[in-house]
Amino acid sequence: MIELVGLTKKFKHNEAVKNLNMFIEKGEIVGLLGPNGAGKSTAISMMASLSEPTGGDVRFNNNSILKNPAPLRKVVGMVPQEIALYDDLTAEENMQFFGRIYRLRGQVLKRKIDEVLEQIGLSERRKQVVRKFSGGMKRRLNIGVAMLHDPELLIMDEPAVGIDPQSRNYILETVKRLNEERQMTVLYTSHYMEEVEYLCDRIYIMDQGNLIASGTKEEIKQILSAEKTISIKTNRLNDRFLSLLEESPTINQVVAGEKEVTITVPKEINMFPKLINLAEKVELELRSVEVKTPTLEDVFLHLTGRALRD
Amino acid sequence: MIWQIMKKQGLMLFRNPVQLLLLVGLPLILIAILGTALGGTMNGESSPIDVKIAFVDHGNEQGQIDRFMNDLESELPREAVEGIQEGTSELKPVSTLREDVLGSENVSEIVDVQDAAPAELGALKNDDSYTAIIEVPETFTYNMLEYMVLDKPEQPKLKVTQNETREIGVSVVNAILEQYQEQFTLGMFLSKNGIDAGTLELNEYASTGEVTTVNQKNPVTAKGYYAVGMVVMNVLFLASTIGSIAFHEKKTHVFDRIILGNMSHWVYFTGVLLSGMIFGFFHLLIVYGFAWAVFGIAWPNLLAFLVVSLVYAMAIGGITVLLTAISYRINSEVITSFFSGILATLMAFLGGSFFPIGNSSELLRTIGNLTPNGAGMSAYIGILRGDDISEIGIHLLFLIIFALTAIVFAVISFPKRGISG
Repeated sequence: MIELVGLTKKFKHNEAVKNLNMFIEKGEIVGLLGPNGAGKSTAISMMASLSEPTGGDVRFNNNSILKNPAPLRKVVGMVPQEIALYDDLTAEENMQFFGRIYRLRGQVLKRKIDEVLEQIGLSERRKQVVRKFSGGMKRRLNIGVAMLHDPELLIMDEPAVGIDPQSRNYILETVKRLNEERQMTVLYTSHYMEEVEYLCDRIYIMDQGNLIASGTKEEIKQILSAEKTISIKTNRLNDRFLSLLEESPTINQVVAGEKEVTITVPKEINMFPKLINLAEKVELELRSVEVKTPTLEDVFLHLTGRALRD
Repeated sequence: MIWQIMKKQGLMLFRNPVQLLLLVGLPLILIAILGTALGGTMNGESSPIDVKIAFVDHGNEQGQIDRFMNDLESELPREAVEGIQEGTSELKPVSTLREDVLGSENVSEIVDVQDAAPAELGALKNDDSYTAIIEVPETFTYNMLEYMVLDKPEQPKLKVTQNETREIGVSVVNAILEQYQEQFTLGMFLSKNGIDAGTLELNEYASTGEVTTVNQKNPVTAKGYYAVGMVVMNVLFLASTIGSIAFHEKKTHVFDRIILGNMSHWVYFTGVLLSGMIFGFFHLLIVYGFAWAVFGIAWPNLLAFLVVSLVYAMAIGGITVLLTAISYRINSEVITSFFSGILATLMAFLGGSFFPIGNSSELLRTIGNLTPNGAGMSAYIGILRGDDISEIGIHLLFLIIFALTAIVFAVISFPKRGISG
């Protein structure tokens, strides 16, 4: 359906997106993961024809949108990270305004507004100004506005950021339902790993403008199949202990927190005796040692050396 | 589409009571405060300016008139002299100055005139409380009659000694003497040509030299002046308000949604421009409407008023779209904040919204008229004074050029958003 080919965006002092290649098939929910500043928003802005790439191409149904963005714009719905609504207008007035922008008129517009307000659970609040909405309600309306014209492709840029768990679940369920019932294609960006794990068929991971991994959830987790991560909790970490871990030839990666350190080691190695030995050497009390099944978060940690929400 | 943008803009303005109060309520409050507080000064009802003048007559007016007539009789036939006597019976230049000008009700409210003998001159010059000493030379009346009746080339002059530490007072004295000269020369001209001087009354406020007209048109009251001053200033804030709303649309990605609706950014641009113009126009009508209802400020020429409002609203539209374009270009609200926080107030000051700054210097008047609000104000004041459209044409022309220039700059500055295909 849509394909990014060597997409690049350079600004004056930095390169926000570097040679990005990705594709989305019709009916898929694809996740785009990455920490703040990874280049996700810039990438989707180019994908939605809102900003011009400095290199590469965006192809929609095999045609470049750089020459003619109109076919894409007709079928794309965009949910920006910000609440892109008018606070002083009611939910219904917002929908009327954006519906008219999407060239919906008369009874068709009225019917669509009723339908979407029902879907996002705001029918009862249609006459209320957005300013008086809770954060979760605003987020739902933000999504609803993007659905008014029945888009085939819904691009969602962190749509559930900063809201309560109940509203987040509502949003995730809505996206899932749209995909299942209408075969709506969704690109979902987030830095909440659990959202992406729950929703997405395939995942792209970006960091510092680069695509660092891609594939299905299982394929990505396979990156860590030859390794395991061990989480070690102590009363307090000391530098000597960390140095000993880093100097150990059997440990591939060491990531230190305040009282916890995570190490990555080959799957077949039994690290327990060695860890106890090292701790005794530096007079450190080990509180717990836990071998973890790799998650996407671990993959991200493994690939970038830092946590997703850093 | 443009209508949708304007409708949304209107709803947003209408739903914001604080903004509405600032845009409509504030100018009314300011008109009331400034009109009342400064009305006395502007209308000549009372004045904080204290001018003290010493009047020293070195001659004898009636003696000189008699001598002049005697000399005429010895040179001209009796019939000619009688004709001149009839035509110049009211010609008493010193009495006119002392009683009709300096002693008039309006002037005497701000000017205290003390008659003094020539012998006191030395002491008077050392007395700092005097703003000016007016000396009438010994043969002033005789020479003035020669100049006016016999068309002698040299006009006699009063001797005026000014206390330069009292600048405002000195300017008042100069204005009074200029007024005297005009009045006396005009009176003489009318008298010689057999025109009744009663048909021509010099403006009662003319001596203040401020705000009010120096011609024969309607005087402008302080409330009228400040109604114009506050309205032309306040509508500037409408431009920055709409500019801020527009930038907020960019910041929150509402503008992205509009672009994704495949709407040209020029449609959006036109919507912002027309919003500034049309809401500006209605803003002017509403506040002037209130000013009419509350303060009785009526427009003698309604058509001219509507034309000026329309043209000024065009300039407001130009400012609105220029502020929007610059804030989009630099991706910051700093320009609208700077405009509403500093520039609008500075423009209002130069344009004369707070007091008639143009009266203090020709340069300031010119600079003031080169601001849109200053030009708008001059045009509105002109209408209140009784000017017709042709007389304020230069201000209207400036406003149209200003509006077009602002729109052109806005078009150049407004960034292309999205892939245009």
